Amino acid sequence: MDWTKQLGRYIVVMLLQVLLFDQLQLLGVCHPYIYILCLLMMPITLPHSVDMIIGAIIGLVMDVFCNSLGIHTAACVLLMFIRPYLIGVIVNDKDRLNEQITLRAIGMEAMIKYVIILVLIHHLTVFALGAWSWNHIGFVLLETLISGLVTISVIIGYNALKYK
Amino acid sequence: MQTLIKILLRYGNFLVFFALEVAAFMLISMNNAFPRSSMLSTANEFVAWQHEQISNITGYFSLRTQNEKLAEENAALRNYICSMDSAKNREDIHYLNAKVVQMTTDELHNYLTINRGSKDGIVRGQGLRNEEGVVGIVRTVGHNYSVVMPIINTNTNISCRFTKNDYIGTLQWDGKDIRFALLADVASHMVVNPGDTIITSGLSPVFPEGIPVGIVESSLLKEGASYYTIKVRLHTDFKRLKYIEVVQNAHQNELEELTNGLD
Repeated sequence: MDWTKQLGRYIVVMLLQVLLFDQLQLLGVCHPYIYILCLLMMPITLPHSVDMIIGAIIGLVMDVFCNSLGIHTAACVLLMFIRPYLIGVIVNDKDRLNEQITLRAIGMEAMIKYVIILVLIHHLTVFALGAWSWNHIGFVLLETLISGLVTISVIIGYNALKYK
Repeated sequence: MQTLIKILLRYGNFLVFFALEVAAFMLISMNNAFPRSSMLSTANEFVAWQHEQISNITGYFSLRTQNEKLAEENAALRNYICSMDSAKNREDIHYLNAKVVQMTTDELHNYLTINRGSKDGIVRGQGLRNEEGVVGIVRTVGHNYSVVMPIINTNTNISCRFTKNDYIGTLQWDGKDIRFALLADVASHMVVNPGDTIITSGLSPVFPEGIPVGIVESSLLKEGASYYTIKVRLHTDFKRLKYIEVVQNAHQNELEELTNGLD
C-alpha cells in the first residue's frame, strides 16, 4: 500500500470519526477514537522521529475538531513513540513488516495484543489529560475501558474483513 | 562537539519525542490559561462549518420539540410584556439571538459553538441565556463563530444570589449530571430550603441581575463544615439547547477596566 492510499484511508476514517463516532453521545462514557487506526496500521519503514511528527500532526487535527488543544497531540506522540518498541517485543517474524501492519502480516495473536495495548494507552492518556484531576479517576478508567473496547473492535474488525 | 553529535544521534528519537510532548503540554496549559486562537478550536471556519452542516441535518429530527419550545417562548414573551421584567428592561443591555451549531454534553469540559462571531460584535466574556435561564460565557471568538463555556463545564463560575434574601454564592458544576449544578460559598448560618429560587447576582458585567438560574434541589451541611453543599436544579435544558441570546452589556469594557485596575 502506498502513501496516497494511506492518506485516502485517513480521510475516510477521519470523516467516520467526526460524522459518526463523535456524534455517539449515548452512554456518556463512550468516546471511541477510531482515527488512531491509521497510526496503528502505518508501515514502520519511516524513521522513528518522522513517525512521531506524523502522530503529532494527526493528533493536532483531532484536537481542533474536539476543542481539546494538545491532548490528542500528546497521546498520539506517545503512541507513535511506543509503537516500534512494542512491535519489537511482540512480533517474532520481522521479515513481513516491510508493508503496513495488518492481521495478515503479523498474525492474530500479535495483532490483538498490539491493538489492545496501544489503544488503551492512547485512550487512557486522552481521558486522563482531559479530566486533569485524580477526583475523576474512576470515571476516567471506565471511559477508557468502554471507549477502548469499541475502538479495538473497530480496528480488529476492519483487519478481519480486509486482511484476513 | 563530536560527543554532542554522538549523543544526538544516539538519543535523537527520544529528544524528538520529548520535544513534541513538551509542545503538546504547552498547548494544553495555554488552553487552560489564555483565550485560544480561533484557528485551533471549533471557532475555526472549516470545523464550525462542518458542525453547522451536521446540525442542519439533525435539526430536522427535532423540529417538533423545537416548535413546542418556540410556542412556549412566545407565551413567555407575552408574559414579559405584561410584567416588564427588570432584567429585560435596561437600556445598556442588548440581546442578540444566536443558534447553537455544535455542543457536547457528556464530558467534564463541555463546550458549545454558536453561529455568531466578532462580525456580530461578540467579545470574550459576554454571557449567554435562553428563554429558560442562564447558558454560559463566551470563551473564544472567531470571525463568524464563537466557542462558549456553558454552566456544564467544570471550569465555569457564575455569580448567583438567592431571591429570598439576596445572599450571594458561586455556581459551579461537578461534572456528574447536566441537570444539576452546585452552589458554593454559602455560609452555614444561612437557612437553605429546597425550592429556593436562584438568579444571577448582577455583580459581574457578564450577566445583568435577575436572569433565572435554577431551584434548590437539596442542601447538605457536613458536620463541622462552614459552607453548604447545595444542589441546584438548572432551568436550562442543555440536551435540547438550540436557540440562545447573547447578553451584550454596553458598559462591559468600562466595568472590566475598572476591576482590572484594582489588581
